[in-house]
Amino acid sequence: MDRRSFVRLMAAAPFVPAVPDEAAPKLRIVTSYPPAARPGMPGPHPGRVIAVKSEKCVDTVTSAANAAVVREMMTRGMCALTGDRTAPEAWRRFFVPADVVGLKVNCGGHPWVVSAYEIVAEVIRQLMGVGIPPTQIYIYERFQNQMDTVNYAPHVPEGVQIVAAETANRRADNRGYDPATYVEADLFGEEDTRSNMMRLVSQRLTKIINIPNVKDHGATGATGCLKNIAYGSFSNVARTHHNGKSHTLSFVGTLASVEPLRSRTVLQIMDGLRGVWHAGPFAHTRRYVFYPKKIFFGTDPVAIDRLLLDIIDEKRKAEGAISIYDRSPRYLKVDDGAARDADPNVNIIIREPGHVEYAAKLGLGVADLAQIKVQDIEV
Amino acid sequence: MTLLLWLATLPCLYWTQGADSAPSLKAAGIERVCVPPARGEEWRKAGFAPVALGEADLAVRDALLPPGIKARADRASATRSPWVDANGWRFLRHPDGQYVYDDLPAGRAALAAAEAYAYGADAVLKIDPADLESLGRMMTFLVRLPANELPDVADLAVVDDGSGPLGEVLNLLVRRNLFFRTVKAPDPSFRLNVKLGTREYPMKEAGEPSALALKIRRQLTDEARTLRIFGSEAVIARVTGDAARLRLHLLNYGGRDIEGLRIRIRGERPGGEAHMAGTGRVALQERTVIDGGTEFTLPRLGSYGVVDVPPVK
Repeated sequence: MDRRSFVRLMAAAPFVPAVPDEAAPKLRIVTSYPPAARPGMPGPHPGRVIAVKSEKCVDTVTSAANAAVVREMMTRGMCALTGDRTAPEAWRRFFVPADVVGLKVNCGGHPWVVSAYEIVAEVIRQLMGVGIPPTQIYIYERFQNQMDTVNYAPHVPEGVQIVAAETANRRADNRGYDPATYVEADLFGEEDTRSNMMRLVSQRLTKIINIPNVKDHGATGATGCLKNIAYGSFSNVARTHHNGKSHTLSFVGTLASVEPLRSRTVLQIMDGLRGVWHAGPFAHTRRYVFYPKKIFFGTDPVAIDRLLLDIIDEKRKAEGAISIYDRSPRYLKVDDGAARDADPNVNIIIREPGHVEYAAKLGLGVADLAQIKVQDIEV
Repeated sequence: MTLLLWLATLPCLYWTQGADSAPSLKAAGIERVCVPPARGEEWRKAGFAPVALGEADLAVRDALLPPGIKARADRASATRSPWVDANGWRFLRHPDGQYVYDDLPAGRAALAAAEAYAYGADAVLKIDPADLESLGRMMTFLVRLPANELPDVADLAVVDDGSGPLGEVLNLLVRRNLFFRTVKAPDPSFRLNVKLGTREYPMKEAGEPSALALKIRRQLTDEARTLRIFGSEAVIARVTGDAARLRLHLLNYGGRDIEGLRIRIRGERPGGEAHMAGTGRVALQERTVIDGGTEFTLPRLGSYGVVDVPPVK
């Protein structure tokens, strides 16, 4: 590979941070990959979101999804997004048989809220319909132990690759990361100042479909498209938030903007069949699980995540919990995960929902609600 | 250097068992052993050249921490910033000192031996017998390493007042891979001289040694550091070298092998080779020169490895 290095020094200059007296860290992007003529994010549909809802998509007693209903929701969503009459036509807008496609799933909310088997299976069915062989389809996450626990294998055709960058979150296995593609930042004085992109993303995949969940997040406020694709494709990201402070405001969007991740992520399908309104991104207990019963489609991760912030915040409000925008030290119990799990009015870190707006400033999509066009579809 | 002299530079296993245990030591590859004086003769008869070491001899040696990482829920995070117990600062501060790793818990002997070797320390190891085999493997590796006695490379000077607070600062500098030379007075050949009790480094800052080490790092700047390590927060390096070559000693305190450790050395260096405990000689992978430094990946680092690199182009 030519060692043409595109190095950018980034600071938070174009954005007014939520806490003006805190300096945003300097983030340095190192990559040799040039952007595509039209990067996948925000793609051909900036500011456009298709929200497909069905009361029948998930049984709230058993939490089981209805595969047939999900398939119908997928068809309606994709057709509405592209304006095509059939699902195959819609999928061909994004993919060709030669593509090597990654499905960035989310396994962190096991057992209650992970990227649904039914959605993943339908995506793969449609990709194969385009003519992409299963061996060119990769379901990926960062940690193999999470993938093993969720276990997509029985739900997808033989030959589909299920891969992770690391065996587990132990910071001992870097082989799955590209040493030449990274974001460098000294956030808290950590020795390892680099977050490297997965080799799978930089060296193998030609297209990526992002399949996040609707989840609360203790550091970012909510986690959807942006954080799933960013923190799920780079190493050494947990370093951005601890001791009550989070650098996710600028880090999430910056990671998502690194080439080739930005150009190759061409489709966003946010799984809102189930959701987590507190103690996310985990879902160890069903106490904070809820059922939006929606799937969101788009190419603009910022627009979908802007809607996500409201979904999580409104649900929290309905449950009597503090807002994701609350920065009061009154509710802060630094790094006390047990207290946070027990009480929805406890933050362990000051949340940074402004990361969505920050990503918009980086050109990843549209965060202004007035400019986001949502098409609601009921199945 | 004769084999005997070379062996004498290795840490010594302190072994109180009788010579009937000699076969297990030989099987493990242990060649150097320190024994209580009363057992000297039987060990000589068993074919060893034991070093007699009585209780009084041990008592005058400075006791070291078992090297490794510790769970400190209040102060550290396993994946972000592990709490590392390391002894490098002691060796650097008192290179002529005598040391003992007292009652090392099982699983620590090999790392302790490597740590003492990496700093050229006169150290005795009191190990858990279960570690005999792993210690033997490490000692065999150390004996076979290409000889390379070079002075320390330093990026800054620290005026050593001999105080306890400064000792903890030195410890944190070592843990952050900030290479220093202790001096009696500021050394103008260094851009950065750290002297506690001055306006720039008030004594009260020594009360937060981690913060002070970070301040020093930022004054030095990462770009000016001889070495950077990416892919782990649990690897501590000692770098020695002269105009002709450089040797990196890499000690992994994390307790598990690290795959794909990325190393950056300041300056453009044309080649190099690595010797990894448990693996042997390995080539440097994905080597590149970028932004005034040379980077490469080590495929796997166990407890210890060394990298020899030629001079700057």
